Amino acid sequence: MATGRLGKFLQRLRASVSSRQVDRDLDDELAFHVAKRAEKNRDAGMEEAEARYAAQRQLGNTTLLKERTREVRVFTWLETLWRDFTYALRALRHSPGFAAMAIATLALGIGSSTAIFSVIHNVLIEPFAYPDANRFMTVEIHDATRSGDAGRAEYSAPEFLDYVEKNHVFDLAIADASEDVLFQVGGGVERLHGVLCTPNTFEFFGLAPLIGRAMQPDDYEPDAPPTFVLGYKAWMSHFGGDPTVVGQTYVLNGTARTLIGVMPRRFGWGDGDVFLPVKPTREERAFVAGEFPPVWYLMGHLKPGVTVAQAQADLTVIANQLSKVYPKSYPPHFLVKIVSATDMVVGNFRTTLYLTLGAVALLLLISCANLANLMLARATAREKEFAVRAALGASRWRLIRQLMVESLILSVCGGAVGIGLAAVGLNSIVALIPPVTIPAETEITMNLPVLLFAVAVAMLTPMIFGLVPALRAARNDLERPLRDSGKGASGTARQGRFRDAVIVCEVALSFTLLVGAGLLMRSFLALRDVSIGMRPDHVLVTRLPLPSERYQTAQQLTSFYRPLLGRLRDLPGVIDVAETSALPPYGGFPTDVEIAGLVHKEKWQALFQLCSEGYFSVLHIDVKDGRAFNAAEVNDARRVAVVNQTFVRRYLVEGRAAIGQRVRVSDLENFPDRVAEPWFEIIGVVGDVRNQGLQQPVQPEMWLPYTVTGSGQRGVLVRTANDPMALMGLVRREVWAVDRSVALTYTGTMENYIHLQSYAGPQFGFVLMTVFASVGLLLVTIGVYSVVAYATARRTHEIGIRMALGATRSDALKLVLGMGLRVIGVGVVIGLAASLALSRVLASALWQVSARDPLTIASVAVLLLGIGVMACVVPARRATSIEPTLALRHD
Amino acid sequence: MADKKEQPGDLLQGTLDLLILKSLASGAMHGYGVAEWIHESSQDVLRVEEGALYPALHRLELRGLLSAEWGTSDNNRRAKFYSLTAAGRKRLLQETEYWQRMSGAIARVLQTA
Repeated sequence: MATGRLGKFLQRLRASVSSRQVDRDLDDELAFHVAKRAEKNRDAGMEEAEARYAAQRQLGNTTLLKERTREVRVFTWLETLWRDFTYALRALRHSPGFAAMAIATLALGIGSSTAIFSVIHNVLIEPFAYPDANRFMTVEIHDATRSGDAGRAEYSAPEFLDYVEKNHVFDLAIADASEDVLFQVGGGVERLHGVLCTPNTFEFFGLAPLIGRAMQPDDYEPDAPPTFVLGYKAWMSHFGGDPTVVGQTYVLNGTARTLIGVMPRRFGWGDGDVFLPVKPTREERAFVAGEFPPVWYLMGHLKPGVTVAQAQADLTVIANQLSKVYPKSYPPHFLVKIVSATDMVVGNFRTTLYLTLGAVALLLLISCANLANLMLARATAREKEFAVRAALGASRWRLIRQLMVESLILSVCGGAVGIGLAAVGLNSIVALIPPVTIPAETEITMNLPVLLFAVAVAMLTPMIFGLVPALRAARNDLERPLRDSGKGASGTARQGRFRDAVIVCEVALSFTLLVGAGLLMRSFLALRDVSIGMRPDHVLVTRLPLPSERYQTAQQLTSFYRPLLGRLRDLPGVIDVAETSALPPYGGFPTDVEIAGLVHKEKWQALFQLCSEGYFSVLHIDVKDGRAFNAAEVNDARRVAVVNQTFVRRYLVEGRAAIGQRVRVSDLENFPDRVAEPWFEIIGVVGDVRNQGLQQPVQPEMWLPYTVTGSGQRGVLVRTANDPMALMGLVRREVWAVDRSVALTYTGTMENYIHLQSYAGPQFGFVLMTVFASVGLLLVTIGVYSVVAYATARRTHEIGIRMALGATRSDALKLVLGMGLRVIGVGVVIGLAASLALSRVLASALWQVSARDPLTIASVAVLLLGIGVMACVVPARRATSIEPTLALRHD
Repeated sequence: MADKKEQPGDLLQGTLDLLILKSLASGAMHGYGVAEWIHESSQDVLRVEEGALYPALHRLELRGLLSAEWGTSDNNRRAKFYSLTAAGRKRLLQETEYWQRMSGAIARVLQTA
């Protein structure tokens, strides 16, 4: 037999678990003792019964003796704890409604708050894994005269070099530019997203490569052997995660390059598939002949100790100098803004996230309040039970412990379900987040500190609110609860007011959430209602980057697209096709314009697009005046143009006819495939199509035949009779039939494209807010129901008396409804005040809807009152079906 | 292996333990037998309360000073027989020696005027 402390401990533990055996043994042992003594008594001359009785009496209080002996053998505290546990489970099983509501409340609160806090933490606080990433800054030039100006953050190579050389605030500055990289794989060509990096890029980001090495200063020299670095996602998707690819040579955009390293998963700068070294020089040269020179996005790391304000001041000085060197790139009055890397990528999404954070905090509050109310109501109902137990000898500590165990069970169940909800919720949110709103390298996982916080809150709330009745029950005045058979008013007046106050707060909070959700919904619907000016349904979109060594002139470009358009038109199910250089709702190359015969002081600008003759019919853009170009004009690359109504309104007032005017599209002179004397004659006017996104006003725009120049990214649009995606394979076949070395990218439907660009962000905010508002509504319903049901039950006796004295059933109904509606009414009023006060917070996320929209607010008020009535239905029915005689007898 | 709850002046519990150990020195016995033996050996002076005896027996068993076995008694009843373990024997010697030393010292003190 094991001895020593451990052995003793284990024995006692074992005995605690199998205590029945211990009890039986003890019984036998004592029975034997009694029998022996009885025997002795008999031998001494006593009667049988007498002997037994005397022996038993000598043993004394058997129960006490057994207990004291037992205490030695078992862990009594363990046993009582187990008993408390089973008792608590039974009690909860007897009130399944309460248990379900309490657990649901806890789970919803924990689940939603953990999920959202995790998202916010990973997107706003720590989106990047790069060391010191919060000191990465970009420089933006904003037009000071236009308030909504998005600003310019891209620079030409010489401009970039000037900023780097002249500034005093960055210790490292780099830039990156995007590039289509055509990559021969298997029998076809794929397009990868290439990122051109300037020297020191990899030192800047500070993440070591997964395998191989990153670029060194030598690799950036123009005469260095060509190399490239692979991103993690591309490594997995295109190279199968094979580590042996490092050191091999691949042909990218016609150049043989050696793969020198692969970056880890959390390096996602520019969402690049491949990274190519480039050392920008002062002669602004295209990276590849025949293409536009790259535009560089600058990123600098603030020197230690330098503040953003200092950086802004320093860079403003430099920008002022540079605006004289590159006057065309700077507006006459401009502002320099320093934007952190996080802000740059997250931008508007930040507002959505903060709103969501606010909503979830409210939700957590509501669920805690609900839980508190549920427990207080239940506790008050059990006052008598606890009084009886105290009278029977339960110590104060014992009662408290009993209630704590019950609360603990609720906490654990609620917490477990909550964690499950959080995991599911998190996955759903991640799936819903529109891809362009958060940085590519952000990982969203459940945040442990937040989870622990939520669980702690979950455990504390039931404990605290379960403690109150225990403390009250353990008070010395046992007589009143025992005597009081629930005939009085529902608890003391103070308790009732507290409960009501809690519900009122819940209703107010829920009101605010619902108004927020309603406003976001209307804003989203308004956005959807915005007329884009065309019909995007049934249109397939694909961009076709052409290998630049063979496609530089207009002839070369046309020799690809003309046969392709012909082939695509002949495909079954195709209604019409078009070539284009840009897609609504964003559009085109910016240019200065001149109109023959008109003089103007301010700069005239417009956007222009290159397209084929089918463009307007494919997208169902209305021609308002004149006509679109025809095939002959496109084939001959004639200098004709179509303009939109905004162009006419802005530049051709005073009743001048638009048709026949001649417009100079100045920027065409700067294209790599230069157009000399770029004068175009207007032959048609079309209805406005959104070209600065859905929310910004339409800019003047022109459409020119695509054949006038060979430069610029192009793609095709295909209008189909049926599902556009079904034609994907056939389109690809036709493209490769014309030229095998062309890759297809950004393929999808037009509707999807617009959705991602314009709707996905607001939709996310609106869906999330609606989910929270619904959850809040559910919680409020539970809350109101529980309070009204409890109050009604307590007042059954009173109602019975009233009915015996002549009240009708409808009076009882009015009583119950009055209870519920009074609480909701006050809550709605307070919620209204709160919503009006908070309206400014929401205003920035809304479009075309006032943050104090009366229709929304009124609807929410009606909804909550309706919910209040619904929550009172069951208690009301119970109240009206009370038999007065039964109620009077009711205990 | 002293029970840490035992204080130096706590003779009562320790004394009972000592008597129990002694009673089992000459062989295994059940609880009733131990009570009777103490009563007889002390010439009816010491009467052990069952309320104290059984907890003590179980405590000593748990501490490893006694071992127990279930057997059949002379009247064909199921009874639990306790006997000394090696550790128990050693403890008995220690406690006896201690007790004799203490009682001798007390006797000397009482003798002085």
